[in-house]
Amino acid sequence: MYSQAYLCIVIGAEQSPGVSMYAAVKHSSRGPALIPRMKTKHRIYYVALFSVVLLGLLATGVFQFWPHSIDASGDWAVEKRSVAVPVRGDLSCRMHTCFDVYRCGFNPKNKIKVYIYSLKKYVNELGVPVSSTISREYNELLSAIADSDYYTDDISRACLFVPSIDLLSQHALPIRETAQALAQLSRWDRGTNHLLFNMLPGGPPDYNTALDVPRDRALLAGGGFSTWTYRQGYDVSIPVYSPLSAEVALPEKGPGPRRYLLLSSQMAIHPEYREELEALQAKHGEAVLVLDKCTNLSEGVPSVRKRCHKHQVFDYPQVLQEATFCVVLRGARLGQAVLSDVLQAGCVPVVIADSYILPFSEVLDWKRASVVVPEEKIADVHGILQSIPSRQVEEMQRQARWFWEAYFQSIRAIALATLQIINDRIYPYAAISYEEWNEPPAVKWSSVSNPLFLPLIPPQSQGFTAIVLTYDRVESLFRVITEVSKVPSLSKLLVVWNNQNKNPPEDSLWPKIRVPLKVVRTAENKLSNRFFPYDEIETEAVLAIDDDIIMLTSDELQFGYEVWREFPDRLVGYPGRLHLWDHEMSKWKYESEWTNEVSMVLTGAAFYHKYFNYLYTYKMPGDIKNWVDAHMNCEDIAMNFLVANVTGKAVIKVTPRKKFKCPECTAIDGLSLDQTHMVERSECINKFASVFGTMPLKVVEHRADPVLYKDDFPEKLKSFPNIGSL
Amino acid sequence: MQFWRRKSLWLALSASWLLFILLGAFPLFRLAVSPRPQPAGPQGWPRWLDAALLRSFSQPEEPPEDVPVPSQAPQGASCSWGTCFDTSRCRNHGLKIFVHPAAGAASEMQRRILASLEGSRYQTRSLAEACLLLLLSPGAPAVHCGPVPHHWDRGRNHLVINLHPDPCPRASQLGQAMVAEASPRVDTFRPGFDVSLPLLPEAHPLRGGFPGQLRQHSPHPRAALLALAEDGGRWHTASFHSTTCPWDGRCEQDLGPKQTHRGEKLPNATFCLIPGHHAEASRFLQALQAGCIPVLLSPSWELPFSEVIDWTKAAIVADERLPLQVLAALQEMDPARVLALRQQTQFLWDAYFSSVDKVIHTTLEIIQDRILGASAHPSLLWNSPPGALLALSTFSRSPQDFPFYHLQQSSRPEGRFSALIWVGTPGQPPLKLIQAVAGSQHCAQIMVLWSRERPLPFRWPETAVPLTVMDGPRKLSHRFLPFGTITTDAILSLDAHSSLSTSEVDFAFVVWKNFPERMVGFLTWNHFWDEAQGGWGYTAEMANEFSMVLTAAAFYHRYYHTLFTHSLPRALRTLADEAPACADVLMNFLVAAVTKLPPIKVPYGKQHQEAAPLAPGVPGSEPQPQSPDHDCINQLAAEFGHMPLVSSRLRLDPVLFKDPVSVQRKKYRSLEKKP
Repeated sequence: MYSQAYLCIVIGAEQSPGVSMYAAVKHSSRGPALIPRMKTKHRIYYVALFSVVLLGLLATGVFQFWPHSIDASGDWAVEKRSVAVPVRGDLSCRMHTCFDVYRCGFNPKNKIKVYIYSLKKYVNELGVPVSSTISREYNELLSAIADSDYYTDDISRACLFVPSIDLLSQHALPIRETAQALAQLSRWDRGTNHLLFNMLPGGPPDYNTALDVPRDRALLAGGGFSTWTYRQGYDVSIPVYSPLSAEVALPEKGPGPRRYLLLSSQMAIHPEYREELEALQAKHGEAVLVLDKCTNLSEGVPSVRKRCHKHQVFDYPQVLQEATFCVVLRGARLGQAVLSDVLQAGCVPVVIADSYILPFSEVLDWKRASVVVPEEKIADVHGILQSIPSRQVEEMQRQARWFWEAYFQSIRAIALATLQIINDRIYPYAAISYEEWNEPPAVKWSSVSNPLFLPLIPPQSQGFTAIVLTYDRVESLFRVITEVSKVPSLSKLLVVWNNQNKNPPEDSLWPKIRVPLKVVRTAENKLSNRFFPYDEIETEAVLAIDDDIIMLTSDELQFGYEVWREFPDRLVGYPGRLHLWDHEMSKWKYESEWTNEVSMVLTGAAFYHKYFNYLYTYKMPGDIKNWVDAHMNCEDIAMNFLVANVTGKAVIKVTPRKKFKCPECTAIDGLSLDQTHMVERSECINKFASVFGTMPLKVVEHRADPVLYKDDFPEKLKSFPNIGSL
Repeated sequence: MQFWRRKSLWLALSASWLLFILLGAFPLFRLAVSPRPQPAGPQGWPRWLDAALLRSFSQPEEPPEDVPVPSQAPQGASCSWGTCFDTSRCRNHGLKIFVHPAAGAASEMQRRILASLEGSRYQTRSLAEACLLLLLSPGAPAVHCGPVPHHWDRGRNHLVINLHPDPCPRASQLGQAMVAEASPRVDTFRPGFDVSLPLLPEAHPLRGGFPGQLRQHSPHPRAALLALAEDGGRWHTASFHSTTCPWDGRCEQDLGPKQTHRGEKLPNATFCLIPGHHAEASRFLQALQAGCIPVLLSPSWELPFSEVIDWTKAAIVADERLPLQVLAALQEMDPARVLALRQQTQFLWDAYFSSVDKVIHTTLEIIQDRILGASAHPSLLWNSPPGALLALSTFSRSPQDFPFYHLQQSSRPEGRFSALIWVGTPGQPPLKLIQAVAGSQHCAQIMVLWSRERPLPFRWPETAVPLTVMDGPRKLSHRFLPFGTITTDAILSLDAHSSLSTSEVDFAFVVWKNFPERMVGFLTWNHFWDEAQGGWGYTAEMANEFSMVLTAAAFYHRYYHTLFTHSLPRALRTLADEAPACADVLMNFLVAAVTKLPPIKVPYGKQHQEAAPLAPGVPGSEPQPQSPDHDCINQLAAEFGHMPLVSSRLRLDPVLFKDPVSVQRKKYRSLEKKP
C-alpha cells in the first residue's frame, strides 16, 4: 500500500521495479533506527525529520484515496520506442486455433480472468501525442469489467487482456500508430487472448465493417460486422451503444398496436432508400411515417433530439413509442445506434441491412424480437409486416424491450454480455442456455421444464427396487417383504434400517426371497433416509413402501408398476389425498376423506423415478428437508410438492380405495389425535407452499385401473384380477 | 529546557511509534487477518475524477453517413440469404421444388433422396412454379462437379445437395447456389445460407429408421462414463472413474486396470468422445442414436442443422487442448444436466436424423422457415419434442396453440370443446346424441357433417349451444379437415351411431385436459403381430391391452386435423377414404407417431351391446386373414417405416369409480349404472 502510493507521486499508476526498491530501502534503514535513544542536540533535526515523514505519510494517504484525474499528466507513462505494426486481422481464426486456452487453465468457478492494461500515453518520434484520452464510454466499459467477477489485477493469472487504448470509434483514430501501440502491450504476443472493443468501424470512403486497425489474432467485439468480416465463433458482435439510453428514460409501454405501423427516424439515410421509404409513406398514408432531420429549428434546441416530417416536429426518441415497427436501415455503417433506441421504445426493429450480423447473434434469437428484410425488398415491407399475427407482434414488442433492458441498456450490460459469451465458449459445460439468454424473467419463472421430458416407456424387464423404511417392527416388516417379493417385476429389495439402537435381525432370520435383499443401516433416524439416492438402487423405478403396508395384493403392486412405466415422470401411488383452500382461514387444508379429486399420493406405497430421490436429497428448496426431519412428519407431502413443482404434472392414483390401516399415522390412535394429525399435515402444506412460493400440486379427477376392471369379462382372463380385494 | 526536552522526546517517541504502526504493524496485521486482496483502492480501473468531462465516443458532428451502398451482385463466399435468394419466386405457390434430373447413374443414396422428395408436399414438376431448384451432387467426391444443368442461372435459387464432404470448390463454381453438404468445414460454411447435413452411412433407411437406443432416462449406475471413437467405425468403452484421459496418450501412464470393452458398433456409455477432425464426423450420428452424449473435441466441421438445432442442449463442444479439464467437467457434471442431454440426443435422433426422409425434410423445412421469415418455427418448436417436422408452422406460430408445449409455456388448453358428428351411413339423425353432448357444460358448439345422399332433416333439436350442419358428399378423410369454424382446442369426434351420456362426455373431457396431446376415447382396438401371417393385425375384442381408440367417440386436439390433412402423403389419405376403419387406424398411427405414447381409455357404459354397430367395418371377433383392413395396417406400417402404435394396460376412471361409498358422494355417478 505504502510503496504503491508513493509511486503515484513519482511516476503514476504504472509500477516500475526500480522505484519501488528505492522506497523499500528507505523504509527499512531509517524507520526502525529512529526508535531508541535520542540526543538532545539533534532534537530539532529529529523533529523536523518526523514531521517530514508524517507529512509524507499524510500525503500518501491522501493520494491513496483521492480520485484520480485522467488528464493529470502524472498518470501517463511516456513510451517513445517505435515498433512494428501487427499484421491485419487473421480471418481464419477460431477459438481452437488462435486462442490460447491454456492461459485460462483449470478454474473451479468456470469464470475467465480478465486483465486491463493500465493507461499509457503514446507519442510519436517527435513527442507529439498520437492518441487522445479515452472516451466516456470506454472508461465506463473498463470500470464495468474491473468491477465484475471476471477482473483480475494479476497479469500472470489472466486469460483475457483488454488494452486501455480506446478503439470504440475509428473516427480520427490514427491507424498505424494505434497498431504500434497495441503491439507494445506487454503480453501482446500477436494479439493472442486480447479483446478489442469497437463500435464504429471503418471510415470514408468505403467504410469497412470491421475495425481497420491491424490487430493480428486479437478477438474483436465489433459493432457493425458483416458476414464477410465476422469470424463465426471467434469475434463477438456487439451493439452500437446509444448515449441516449442514459439521457432519456422511456417508461415501458405495454404491447399492442400503436399509432403508426412503421416509422423511420434515421437522419442519415441514403437518398435512394429515403425515396423508397417516402414512396411507402405516400402509398400507405397514415400507417407509415418517415422522419428526417429538422432544418428550421431555432438555435439552442439540440437537433439530435428532434425529428421532422414536413413542418411537424417530433421529439426523439419519444416518437419511437408511437410506432409498432421501426426501420433500422444501414447507413454507411451496418451497425446503427438507432437499434438501441428502437428496442428501448419497445418498437419492433425492421432491420434492413444485408449481411449485417445482429448484436450478440451468437446467443440471442433475433427472430423473436425483430423482422429482417433484405434491402431489395424495402418496397414490400408493409405487406410483410401486416402478415404477422398481432399476438406475435405483441410478443416481439415485449421481447425487444427485454433485449434492451438486459443487453443494450448500458455499456456495462454490453461489456458483461460480451465476456459471458467468451466465457461460455471456454467453459462450454457451464454455458448459459438459450432460455436463460432469451426468455424474459417472467417467462423463466413460470415455465416448467420437466426433467424427464422424453416420451419413453421403460422396458418391463428392468423391474423396480422396493425400499422399505423400518424402525423396529420386524414382524410386520417380514410380512411386507414376503408380500412384495411375490410381485413378478420386483428386482431388488432394500430395507432402510432407521434404528441406531438396535441391530437388524440376523441374516438367517430374514425371509428367503427370490431377489437380492439388502439392509442399509442409517446414521440417524431421519425420515429423509427413505428418499436417499442409494447406490444400491439400480432400476429407475422405485417403490417406496412402509413396513406396515401388507394389504396390497401382488396384482395391485404389479399393476402399479405397469402404470408407472406409462407415466415414468409422475408419482404413482395407492392412497390418494387432496389439498383444499380453506376460505374461512385463508389457508390450505389437508383432506383425507372420500373425495372425487386427488392431488397427492402417500409415499407409504408409491412408485416413482429414482431421480426424484436425488432431487429430494440435494435439490429440495429452502429448509424443507431439515424441517421434515425435525418434525418427523410430512416427508411424503414434501415429495409430492417437489415432483409436481419440477414436472408440472399431477400424481396418478392407482386402484380403488382400500381401508388402509391408517397408513400415515402409525403410532396414533383415537379421534382427537387423528385431528391433531390433520392439523399438522395442513401446516405442512402451508409451510411448503410458502417455501415454494406457489402451490405446485395439481388436482385431478381420475385414477388408473386395469383396462377391464369391473367389466363383464371372465376374471381368469384378466391380467390383474385381484384388484381392490381386502 | 528540561520540560521542552522531555516534550520533544515524547513527541519523537510517539511519532516513531506512529511510524512503526503505520509501516510495520498495519501491513503485518493485514497480512495476518485478511489474506483477500483489497477490493477498493487503486486496484482495478481507477475512478477518474474528471470522468464526467470525457467526450462521448460518437460525436454528433460526425459526417452524415450517405456514402453510396455497394450493390453489386454478390458471388460465392459473400452470398447470404438476403442477397442470393429470390424469395419473390416463392410468393405464389409457397416453397415448391423442382428436382433437376440426375446426370448419369444415380447411387443408392441418391435414389433414396429422390424417393423422399417424390412423396413430399413440396415437389412440383413445373419449372415455372418452382421456387427452389434442387441439384443432387454426384455421389463420389472424386467425380468432378460436372456440367451445370440447363436452368442454372448462376445458381440462383438452387440448392445443391451433397451427402459427402469435400465437394468441388464451391465459391467459384457454384455461384449463388446454396450448398447442403454433409459436415461442411466451418471456415467455408456460410451460416444462414448453406445447410449443414449429417454424414449419413450408406445404408441409412429411407423412412422410419431405427429408433433411438435409449431405454431409460437416467444412466445406469454401473454404465461406463466414456466411450471413445476407435478406428474401423467401432467404439471403445472405458469403464473408469479415475482422472485418466484415454484418448491422446498424454496422460496414459495412469490408465489403471484396462477394463475396456473393445469394438462395439454402438457405444454404451454416458459420454462419447469424438475427435474433431473430419474423418470422425460419422461418429456423431452413432452417438446420437445410442443416446450417448457426444463430446466433440474442437470440431472442424459444422454440426448438422446448426441453424435451427440448439446443440448446446444435446452435445458438448469442448477444447481438445484441455483434456483433463474436459474429463473433470464430465465427471462432475450435474445429474440434471446429464439427464437432459441424454434425452435430447434421443429426441433429435428420432425427430431429424433417423431416416433419409427426415434429413431431407428437415433441410426443406429450414429453407421454408427462411422464406417464411417472421412466421417461421420458433426455436422452442425445433428443440423440444415432437420437433418442427411435426409441429407445422402453417397451424400456428405460437407454441401455446399446440398441444405439446403447455408446460414450457405455462399455459393450459382451452376449457371447452367442439363436437364433430359424422353422419356417414343411413340411419336416424343422431338427435339423442346431440342432446347428450349439448348437455355437457364444457360443450362450445356442435357441428354435424352430413355426408350422405339423403336430404337433411327439417328439424334439429333445440340445443343450448350453437349447432351447425355442413352438408354435401364427402370422403371419409374429410372428417379430419381443419375446419376453420372450430375454435376450441378440443374436438369430440363422434359418429351418428355413437351413444354417450353427458356424464361420460364430461369426465372424458376433464381427463383430456390433463393429456391434451393424446387421444382420449371410449372404445378401443388392439394391434398385434400375427406370426402366422407374418404381418400386423388388430382386433376389437375386449382385451387387457389396447393401442388405438376409435374416432367414433374420442377427444383430441384440433391440431391433429391440420396434421392429418397437411402432413400425411396423399396416398395414405386415399387409403383412409377407401376403408372406414382405416381412417381410424391412420389417425391413431399419426397421433402415436407424434407423441410416442398410447392413447387413453375412459370408462364406457354401453360397451358390450353397442360395440358392434357403433363402428361399422370393425373387424369382427375373429380377424379374417387377408381382409382389406388388415392390409390397411400393414400398408400404413410400411409407409411410416415402423409401427408407431404403443399399447396401454390402464383405463382412467373417476376417483371413486365403483368404490363402496354412497353414490351421493360421487361426481360421475351415472357412470356407475349397470348396463
